[in-house]
Amino acid sequence: MLINMFKKIAKFPRITNKYPFEPLDKSSFVGRPEIDAEACVFCGECARRCPSSAIVMDDVRRTIGINVDECIFCGLCQEVCQSGAAQMSHEIELAVKDRQELRVSPIVIEERDIIFEDYEVLCSQVENKIKKKLGRSLQIREVDAGSCNGCDYEINALNNPLNDVERLGIHFVASPRHADLLLITGTATRNMELALVKTYNAAPDPKLVVAVGACACSGGIFRDNYATRNGIDCIVPVDVYIPGCPPRPPAILYGILKALDRL
Amino acid sequence: MALVDYKLLISEAFSEAQVKVIEKRADGVIYAEADPEFIRKAAKLFVHDNGCILLTLFACDERKEAGKFGIYYAFGDRKRGEVIVIKTAVETEFLSISRDVPAASLYEREIKDMFGVVPQGHPDGRRFVFHGNWPGGSFPLRKDFDRKHKPEFMKRPLYFQKVQGSGTYEIPVGPVHAGIIEPGHFRFSVAGEPIINLEAQLYFVHKGIEKLSEGMTFEKVFYISERISGDETFSNSLAYCQAVEKIAGVKVPKRAAFTRMVFAELERLICHFGDLSGICTDVAYGFAWSHFNLLRIWSYQLADELCGVRFLRSVNAVGGVRKDFLRGKNSIMNEYLDKIEAELKDIMHICRRNNLLRDRTEHTGILENKAAVDLNAVGPGGRASGVRCDARKAFAYEEYDSVAWDEIVLKDGDVASRMEVKARECFESIKIMRQAGVVLLNDELGRTGQASGLNDGCKEESNNAVRIEITQLPPDTWALGITESSRGENVHFVMTDSEGNISRYKVRTPSYCNWPALCIAVNGNIVPDFPLINKSFNLSYAGNDL
Repeated sequence: MLINMFKKIAKFPRITNKYPFEPLDKSSFVGRPEIDAEACVFCGECARRCPSSAIVMDDVRRTIGINVDECIFCGLCQEVCQSGAAQMSHEIELAVKDRQELRVSPIVIEERDIIFEDYEVLCSQVENKIKKKLGRSLQIREVDAGSCNGCDYEINALNNPLNDVERLGIHFVASPRHADLLLITGTATRNMELALVKTYNAAPDPKLVVAVGACACSGGIFRDNYATRNGIDCIVPVDVYIPGCPPRPPAILYGILKALDRL
Repeated sequence: MALVDYKLLISEAFSEAQVKVIEKRADGVIYAEADPEFIRKAAKLFVHDNGCILLTLFACDERKEAGKFGIYYAFGDRKRGEVIVIKTAVETEFLSISRDVPAASLYEREIKDMFGVVPQGHPDGRRFVFHGNWPGGSFPLRKDFDRKHKPEFMKRPLYFQKVQGSGTYEIPVGPVHAGIIEPGHFRFSVAGEPIINLEAQLYFVHKGIEKLSEGMTFEKVFYISERISGDETFSNSLAYCQAVEKIAGVKVPKRAAFTRMVFAELERLICHFGDLSGICTDVAYGFAWSHFNLLRIWSYQLADELCGVRFLRSVNAVGGVRKDFLRGKNSIMNEYLDKIEAELKDIMHICRRNNLLRDRTEHTGILENKAAVDLNAVGPGGRASGVRCDARKAFAYEEYDSVAWDEIVLKDGDVASRMEVKARECFESIKIMRQAGVVLLNDELGRTGQASGLNDGCKEESNNAVRIEITQLPPDTWALGITESSRGENVHFVMTDSEGNISRYKVRTPSYCNWPALCIAVNGNIVPDFPLINKSFNLSYAGNDL
């Protein structure tokens, strides 16, 4: 019996990919949508039908763009576009530190109920120092604050033999008490708000917060409903936003490394 | 098998005053409007006398049109593939059927929370959907509730079942767990190590999907249906599409039906490999964990090859599939399937002979057949306890009845059986995918024979062959869509309003049925076995909480 196991281990010695040290072949991936304003005829079809209302169009000034933090990457804009201006690119490394970079229309964040400002000031003071110290190792606590579980499965996939983030010194830990970074998915539902705040407070300062997926970035398709908030940044401060629905494991890894300034 | 004419059965059992309308609808569903007083008799007639199951139970706010709330009871006869929908109209309360049909209990509590219509005679009067922060007197699924309204946060106590006696204690777990999983709160009542009682408090990820869908176009709701539960994306959207296609009176092209089957089975493979690797993690069997994960990685790679999206999102479409994804991909698919099948065989061979794995999984978390039937446990959880509950056989959809495959049913009901059911289902899925692949390939090459039934238009390179465009839905009608996801039977109800938009979207995922079954199955087991039993069911929190 044991011999069968050894045979298998010998058959598949190492399957882990080389990302982020070598680029991925992204040719088959469906990535962020792009609208070419030159080719666009401003018919408004995509803006009207976009399921998460992420497309912003002004046909007087003839501008059009996509709020990528709200986009669910469904590809409907490409399908309905008569002029071929809307196209799905293969780009998946989309994480940014400033949410405005993902948007074409100005951002409105609801005011936070809980004040963390002291912590934030403290955080920024020691952040650089800590990043140098933590530079090589990182402990992550994942919190699902109301996702569809797609993002959670992709985060899980970071640990599989293909991605294996432990090779980069990144570990997922069981408690926020052990965490340097909180990886948060979901829109922040009414019932998870308190748990999210408690988890945030339980993580020792300084800490980093990364929002994973369209829901965590902006509320995504579940925006403006009685039981949801529009993204987690109206509850806790966010350091990096990773758009996608769900973002692929390398896209999440890219975002984590961006939070650490290791790119 | 004697044929039961349910229309005749209903008209014989009830007088005309009790049951007003009885009709067989165009989609084959038998529909009757009954007086609310006779619903207990009707439930007993279907469930006890004829072996039907309660498919779903929900309310609609019809006060504007009819002045009352409509309560819909959908029963299913799995042996004959019949669906019976009984509607009653009530004002502020309705008769509970939970004492006769235990599976109805949660549905009735849900109606109470969401509509404020009270089930009379229900054994459990506690809150279900809402937590302590929700004020009383707010009912989101009533039409006069504004979906953007966020009521103030309250602090109300929640009651858990108490187990008392010397040496008993409680272990509260969650909502944030140690692993990378969704949130839920578990309250274990324990004496020593064995669990006496487990109560799960869910709805932490309640996003209000049903309310959100109201008034939207059917196209937008499609994207919401894909996001009910991430790893069941395809089967949820398929159930929604089926319901909408029935409303529109459209039958999808055969090419689309076979393509859908391939993707539905691919999704099942991905999920089952994840579950199998999860079970191995929980018994600390690292070798099998990484190898099942390898199979999962290959399945994801196959999904990438076929459509470029790992979670099969935007693959489905109302009226068919978005593109002819499988054109020219048959050999790639077979290559992957050969690889996956060979490895799965080897690993299962190793696993079945591993004493440590057997020691932990056999006789652990037994779900008795009686409990499985009473609670209507579905999917691998039900089939491991001897319930024939595969919707692909019972309510055959797409082209499942035209390919050869077996429903896997075991009877022990423990973790090992559920693991075995999942592993064997993977082989059946591969079988289905191969057969569908052959049909699609023959169709591409224009061969006759098995593929002769396919429509002629699909030889040309055009998406018309895999999708029928639907622009508008007829007003004021409804339909049910039933599919089998990796976790079990999905039942989606879609109703349109006077403008053809969605007025009610009721989703019942398999997790909703299986959570109570899981709570029963853990009783008597030791606390460290809970993660293992939980993983063997692998229920979705998002799919339950909506």
